Amino acid sequence: MSDGGGESGREHDQSNTTQRKSSGDEFARAIAKIAVAQVCEIVGFQTFQLSALETLSDVTVQYIHNIGKTAHLYANLSGRTDCNVFDIIRGLEDLSVAQGFAGASDIDRCLASSGTVKEISQYVAESEHVPFAYSIPQFPVIKDRRPTPSFWQSGEETPGEHIPTWLPAFPEPHTFSQSTTFNERATEPDTAIVEQEKQQRNVEQTMLNFQRRLVCNGMEGPSVDAGDAEKAKQARESNPFLAAPLQFGETEVSQVTLPAKLSIKATVENLKDENHAKDRCSSVLETFAPAIEAIKNKSFELEEDQKRILSSRKPTVQFKIGMTKKSLGTLLHSGTHKKGFEEMYPCFGRENEKDEKKRRAEKILKNSMENSQELAQL
Amino acid sequence: MNHNQNQQSSEGRHDDDEASLSEFLASLMDYTPTIPDELVEHYLAKSGFQCPDVRLIRLVAVATQKFVAEVATDALQQCKARQAAVVKDKRDKQQKDKRQILTMEDLSKALREYGVNVKHQEYFADSPSTGMDPASREE
Repeated sequence: MSDGGGESGREHDQSNTTQRKSSGDEFARAIAKIAVAQVCEIVGFQTFQLSALETLSDVTVQYIHNIGKTAHLYANLSGRTDCNVFDIIRGLEDLSVAQGFAGASDIDRCLASSGTVKEISQYVAESEHVPFAYSIPQFPVIKDRRPTPSFWQSGEETPGEHIPTWLPAFPEPHTFSQSTTFNERATEPDTAIVEQEKQQRNVEQTMLNFQRRLVCNGMEGPSVDAGDAEKAKQARESNPFLAAPLQFGETEVSQVTLPAKLSIKATVENLKDENHAKDRCSSVLETFAPAIEAIKNKSFELEEDQKRILSSRKPTVQFKIGMTKKSLGTLLHSGTHKKGFEEMYPCFGRENEKDEKKRRAEKILKNSMENSQELAQL
Repeated sequence: MNHNQNQQSSEGRHDDDEASLSEFLASLMDYTPTIPDELVEHYLAKSGFQCPDVRLIRLVAVATQKFVAEVATDALQQCKARQAAVVKDKRDKQQKDKRQILTMEDLSKALREYGVNVKHQEYFADSPSTGMDPASREE
């Protein structure tokens, strides 16, 4: 009495049979076979073909399955999860539509007076009362699934207004409040991450300071700026780190605070003042930070920085350099500070250019030192 | 035909039907169908059906049993008709084999009326004698 799609349903059923057998459904199938055999015996069969019995028991199982499916469908249709009698009766009626049943044509019929139910009760009254032959041991049936009670059922208050009361209640707070993930989520974004970032920034800044200092020590010798001489003098007096540049044997004139862009000034100043200047200089240096870190040779960095600083030197120096050394002159004349900067920039990424750049930087360094000496002589 | 009458006495009949239905359901509590509750429950649970009420499980069990019995009865009728036809031809030869055997041939004919198309495998090595052993074992 299965639904209209007989053939396809049949095929589906048979393909399922093999699957179910492998998934441990043999027990239920065997019981279904015994039960069907018993019913056949009651009807009057003495014996049967095995294939016929298997087929009939398969059909029986499918029939039960279909009743459950349609009843469940009707229950869901009326907004319930649990089925009641009327859902089952509707399901039975659906399945017996092929044969027809009493009162099927009546639109206003009441489900309680359904013809199918009457037929069933008639059958129960007439048929032999034969219970199942065996007592069934533990059968894998989940008798009732109890969902978690909702907020409304357990009489709790929802933790937030946005949570409706019909939703299942939260588990007890002690079950999740002490778990590590719960705590971490609460604290991490506020403090831990910020602290990590702070530490990282500190490390970066100390690195930058160190590099800048190296740069300055290299640079202060060659750098020439008469205008800032007095300022530099003051700074040098107060700054013990300025002892190094003096080794080059330069005059005080060469002590320079660079244009604000590069803010080399910051390194020339006090250690205290350094922190202050950091903010300005970091904007330039930080753009090079990844590239600088990538370069293993520190001296190379140093020279690169020198080069950069040189390229932004003031016209007076450029003029001098242009007179003395042609190589440097071309370099500096060829572009403004901006262009020089642009030239410098790509070399950080290219490994093969490194050596060449290094050589050039060394040359520039030498030149600048000579120039500074010349300046001093002047 | 008695549509008007139905509507007029719908109230009274409705109550009667309800009473008879609940009575029938209550009677199922004492009735043990041949198809065990556990089996029905198992397959109902597989189809997504949820209901803790035993009476409904019994109702499904009884309905299934009725279905199987109907199919089996039809098959038996087919079997008897076939045997009668055979007996007509060779009355004396077939006297010994009077037992009713549920064969695929009869079953497929019976199931066709219920919308289930089963085809008997032409060369399936399945004879009545193979079915005899499990049947006798069960008894």
